Amino acid sequence: MTEPSGINERQRELFIRKSTRVAASYLKRAKELSEIPDAAKPFFDVLENIYIKLSDVPKPENRKSIGTLCVMVPAELIYAAGAMPVRLCSGSYTAYSIGDDYIPRDACPLVKAVMGFGKMKALPAFDNCSLLIAPVTCDCKKKLAGVIDAVKQTVPLPIPPMKKEDADTEIFLKELYRLIPILEKETGKQITAKSLAEGINLVGNAQYEMSEFMKYRRHAPALMSGTQVMAVMNAYAYMPADIWAKQMHRLNAEMKLRLAQGHFVSRKNQPRILVTGSPIAFPNLKLPLLIEEMGGVLAADETCMGERGLSDPVSVIDAGFDGMMRALASRYTKPCTCPVFVDNSQRIYRLKQMIKESKIQGVIYHVLRGCLVYDYEYQLIEEAMGEMDVPMIRVESDYNEEDVEQLRIRIEAFIELIKLKERKEEA
Amino acid sequence: MKGRKIGVAIVCAVCAFLLVSAFFATNFVLYDYHMEVSDYQYVKSEEEKPLSADTSVWFSYGDDGKEVFYGIDEGISGESLTVYALTQSGEISVTYGSENPIREDSLGHLIAALPMAEMDIDGDGESEQVYDYARADFGANSFNPAPQSFLSEEIPFELVFTERKYVMVYYENEILTDAEITVTSYDGETQTYRTNENGWIDGLAIRDIREGFTAAYSPDGVTVYRMQYALEDYSYFSAHFWKAQLPLLFVFALACIGIAAVHFIRNRMERNNPGYKIYSRERVGIYPGTLHQKTTSKFLLIRWLCLFAGMFLWTYAGKLIHQGQLWNEIAIPVFSCPFNLDQVVEVPCYYLSHLPYLFSRYGKGFPVLNLIYALTFLGTLLFCFIFLGRILCGFLCPAGLLQDLMDQLRKALHIRPIVVTDRINRFLQPIKWVWILLFLGFAFTGGDFCNICPLKIFTTAQGGYWTNLYLGGFFAVVILVGSFFIKRFWCIICPMGYLMGLFKRFNLFKLKKDCTACTECGACYHACPMRIKSIYTERDKENVQTVDCMMCGECIHKCPEDKALSMTFCGKTIYQSSRKAFMSKFSEKEEGESIDRAKRNQ
Repeated sequence: MTEPSGINERQRELFIRKSTRVAASYLKRAKELSEIPDAAKPFFDVLENIYIKLSDVPKPENRKSIGTLCVMVPAELIYAAGAMPVRLCSGSYTAYSIGDDYIPRDACPLVKAVMGFGKMKALPAFDNCSLLIAPVTCDCKKKLAGVIDAVKQTVPLPIPPMKKEDADTEIFLKELYRLIPILEKETGKQITAKSLAEGINLVGNAQYEMSEFMKYRRHAPALMSGTQVMAVMNAYAYMPADIWAKQMHRLNAEMKLRLAQGHFVSRKNQPRILVTGSPIAFPNLKLPLLIEEMGGVLAADETCMGERGLSDPVSVIDAGFDGMMRALASRYTKPCTCPVFVDNSQRIYRLKQMIKESKIQGVIYHVLRGCLVYDYEYQLIEEAMGEMDVPMIRVESDYNEEDVEQLRIRIEAFIELIKLKERKEEA
Repeated sequence: MKGRKIGVAIVCAVCAFLLVSAFFATNFVLYDYHMEVSDYQYVKSEEEKPLSADTSVWFSYGDDGKEVFYGIDEGISGESLTVYALTQSGEISVTYGSENPIREDSLGHLIAALPMAEMDIDGDGESEQVYDYARADFGANSFNPAPQSFLSEEIPFELVFTERKYVMVYYENEILTDAEITVTSYDGETQTYRTNENGWIDGLAIRDIREGFTAAYSPDGVTVYRMQYALEDYSYFSAHFWKAQLPLLFVFALACIGIAAVHFIRNRMERNNPGYKIYSRERVGIYPGTLHQKTTSKFLLIRWLCLFAGMFLWTYAGKLIHQGQLWNEIAIPVFSCPFNLDQVVEVPCYYLSHLPYLFSRYGKGFPVLNLIYALTFLGTLLFCFIFLGRILCGFLCPAGLLQDLMDQLRKALHIRPIVVTDRINRFLQPIKWVWILLFLGFAFTGGDFCNICPLKIFTTAQGGYWTNLYLGGFFAVVILVGSFFIKRFWCIICPMGYLMGLFKRFNLFKLKKDCTACTECGACYHACPMRIKSIYTERDKENVQTVDCMMCGECIHKCPEDKALSMTFCGKTIYQSSRKAFMSKFSEKEEGESIDRAKRNQ
């Protein structure tokens, strides 16, 4: 490849062609999995607009968009400042291959993809962000925050490595307070108690719709394909929370109808699988697609681009400004099951709860190559799953299509294993 | 590290101050009525004879708290009336119309005596020799647990109010046991009681005592001694009642100054803190009405209603509900001052903080009726301690209500709370231990816990009872300021609450947690007024109730996870967290139509 400054127009065109083609093919495959609910189509349209038609995020003209690189950035604060958060964690294979040149080989592909978009300037959703907020979580994200600053102004948001003690929350609280003037300067709007409350309400409403949706998602047999759910969750990253919530409300209504009509997309004996581990960001829907194409049902996911980002609501104890800030600081660290925290044993309980609620029969542990923190926790989770007698495999993947066939074989075998186990138990 | 050392030093200083100053409690005077007994006036009454007065002479009190009235039946010569007043130098006697018997050295006990009269009071045709007396006790000493009697040759029959609730009978210098006493109560009804081992009139209700009564005793059937007894007691909204509010006003005034000072100092301190610069802008303590945080919780509503009911029971209800003696033996351990005689049932904090009295409460013997009373007292006390525990703190304690109201006041005034981090909470624990030490042990050193009790003033003042405030008054200010900024501040260091919490294992009410459902979001911990951390860190045990837990239900209310926290009564779930209930506040109601639209489209 050429020097960073030497990306010429031709290369850029090539990049865009390749990138849109991959995104379009994944979107098409996801749509074709099973009958897509009508109300879910707008979510797909958003993804299509962002990645294929290369348009900006659907936001009002006068609103600025602020890029975030992790779910640990309080979206409420950004809404309170009158801007819109755009979660830029991407799964683009093409951007990954560009970013590969700027980021060390062993770093995770997600970071490379973000860097690739930063360098290529081919994603309006990225380019139109006036500011990036990069939480200092894992090593890759930490260094990314430093490197990408050259491309786009980046504010690092330090996350305490521990979260159980009050002192840790206090540290994060101070960081959030430090973030306020930066956001205010960027948008020219003051964050007031009123606007912060409105921000909490806004995201809260999205979380409410999400919690309603979770009831339908947990239903066995499934009412909607899990890959499509992942796409819907990914769409949240590029949509204003209120629009997403409204659309989600319609989807919930349709789910309710499907439930009443007995319109299921899976059969009773299809193995229900949970995916946990590294983020599954659009367009990298490789793993969910493989699972569902091989006859499994992606019934739940414990990933940050999926359910986790919207599952824990803000619980405001004291409705003052400080009270709301404290609630935000608590909500974005304490219940978060990201393995960047030193002690993350709560993830095991979260998984156990999900397995119970969603009637999970097998767990696929997804590790992006170079995602050390998730790899660290594999053994702990494996032990816990062993105790519960839930089969689990570790799947390592990268942002390319070279490993698809190998993955397909493994996943197919895993699904057969679960079926065999079920049959044995029945007998 | 430096901060920690300073913290330890402050805690040690506070503990030492508490321990030492308790012994000099009466030297720190916040409010003293300065009412010398000689300030009282002794005035002839033109009023009607009270219903309860069976005698030809009676006492009553004026509403201004300065006058004590006496009256005699028409047709009786005032010349024959002798008034005895107990003084430090021995009793004095004056005849009707002469100088005020209430002298400088008076102790506030008066007896008026008429000479023997021959009259037929039982209507059997034969006349008896009747001695009529009237007795009045007033001033701050009237609730003195130590009996004060005249025991003079002239007055062989006497009634003494003792232990704040019993009337003791003396006859010829002896305690009168197992004798028949005819009592005319406040409504004019006559009933016969017997005295017990201690000489107490068994079964005489506190209401009768407070409203005045006449006791008659006939040792031989020919001689009859009658005594009208009037305890200092006033109606609500009288001058006396308002004067009783004065120390309370003092405490609240000091608390206001304290709150302003704390608020000011805190803002000053945070001015140097870069992280907080942001919110020392216009928005400090602004409470937006826009935040969707109101969810209806029947449980919390019931709790508030219970708290108000508890306040009513322990402050006013005694005047409205005619409770018998047995009621007065029911012991519910909450922090409401028993110096307020209008409580509907007994509050044992007086006996727990004066353990020697608890042991001497029922005298030497245990006659049958006394045994029932003793069993009622101990039974209810133990039942509350063992089976109910701290749920009483959350649901009934008037001090708890006071603190909750202070918290509501803070919210109404838009002032930020002080967040109790686990570090501050750790520092508060030794102070709690000192309180427990003082609560249980102070009486054995000759001290009186009531002098340092910070909660003595609240319910007594509301009942219209005069209480002098010593060191306890200053502590009351601290508690008010504390509970303004820190929800349920006193409960964190409450000695009686802690003692109740010790029996949590046997409590009928239990707080349970589904450890898998918990996401450790910490909302319960932040909502908990007692700052119980283990509730969100606990990962093994189902029972998360701790010594401090008072079942207020705040944690369950703020928990966003389905069935993660629940409260059970005898194993039956009565309240549990629900994601739907939590999230529903964020739902937008007007969206209801879109569901219909979606249905139509299908």
